[in-house]
Amino acid sequence: MKRERRPTETVKETMLDKAWFSGQVIQNEKALYRTARMILRNDQDAEDAVQEAILSAYAALESLRDPERFKPWILRILTNQCYDICRRTRQTVDLSDVEETLPASGTDCTERLTLYQAVEQLPDDFRTAITLFYYEDLSVRQIAGVLGLTEAAVKTRLSRGRQSLRALLGEE
Amino acid sequence: MDQFDLKMRERARREEFPLPEDYAGRVFALCASLEEKHVETKKTTNRAPRWLIGVAAALALLVAVPNLSAPAARALERIPVLGRIVEVVTFRHYTYDDGHGQADVSVPQISADGSAAASVNKDVQAYTDRLIEQFKADCATLGEGYEGLDVSYHVVTDTDGWFTLRVDALETMASGYEFSRIYNIDKTTDQTVSLAGLFKDGADWSRVLSEEVRRQMAEQMADAASGKTYFTEDFSGVADDQNYYFDQDGNLVLAFDEYSIAPGSMGAPEFTIAKSVYQDLLK
Repeated sequence: MKRERRPTETVKETMLDKAWFSGQVIQNEKALYRTARMILRNDQDAEDAVQEAILSAYAALESLRDPERFKPWILRILTNQCYDICRRTRQTVDLSDVEETLPASGTDCTERLTLYQAVEQLPDDFRTAITLFYYEDLSVRQIAGVLGLTEAAVKTRLSRGRQSLRALLGEE
Repeated sequence: MDQFDLKMRERARREEFPLPEDYAGRVFALCASLEEKHVETKKTTNRAPRWLIGVAAALALLVAVPNLSAPAARALERIPVLGRIVEVVTFRHYTYDDGHGQADVSVPQISADGSAAASVNKDVQAYTDRLIEQFKADCATLGEGYEGLDVSYHVVTDTDGWFTLRVDALETMASGYEFSRIYNIDKTTDQTVSLAGLFKDGADWSRVLSEEVRRQMAEQMADAASGKTYFTEDFSGVADDQNYYFDQDGNLVLAFDEYSIAPGSMGAPEFTIAKSVYQDLLK
């Protein structure tokens, strides 16, 4: 005697597709590092944040409903990890790290600065939004989702970030 | 987006963003070890362990290679060359439990630098996918009964020249049904080898092995104390793709699924064929 299948709310099903997840992570590995590095301004902390984000994302893979949105989804997890690290360590920027990227005094900044060096000098509030916009090609809406901000707040940060970048790079 | 934005995006694509040395390798190592880390980090601290390094990680990397993207392949190129390695790990773990249906499926993947491993991996994936789909279909019409599926694997042989992987499945409904797939790889030729592939072209190996199996069946059934019974009429002979492996003494072992040639009480029968029976027929 067969019966109808029970409602599925009690069903626990796990399908961990490691190959797919690994492929997605590897495709986005540079984006992960760039974003973490721009928030934390420290190589080791950035790698730690990436590692923790990958582990957290894998553990929460079932919460990813649209595979097409993997990149903003994992970047959101990553930025949360970065902010956790900031809170744990009450991190301040190590001047020696920054100084390595600064142009030597007496030289023409506009000729020597790479985009990376210029972005790294932006204030914290602008830096991550600018990185996600220029390096990761995310839309304003996607950046708002990653950073947990309103789209208006993202536009403000991008606008001010642009102004600073123009000055740093000598672009008018 | 204005001209400045376009110019900045172009510069972002063109200009190098400095990455730490071997960062990609560490990402790859972490991905390859995800299953173990996934469990461990739940049990330990908020602070995850540092990156995996060393040969163990490099071995694990090779496991994640099949079906990965071009970036993965490029990342692999940065891994130290380790030669012809055969390593087997659980590539995917499928679990299901709704109180009536329970499944625990470990899907193995062989890592090796040849096409034989890739062929076996593809077949194993297709095979386990089919088992899972059948299990889901059975669950959907289950009724108040119980449906179970367990799939596990183990390496039977791993020598310099030969590798054998066995995938065992147990389906449980009113009673259990045990069946297996055994994959043999000749490492020296990088080929999977079916039973027929062991023997010379034109050799009468099937008749020889079938007669030996029938002889052993009769011998065992003649011993009333053994309580063994075979469906001799259901045994039509040893097939080209018969499951087999070699035991530690180099003897050929023919493995049959449960119920195929004997009642369920006999389990999944196996017959060890002495080397002297078949060695003249080998390639």
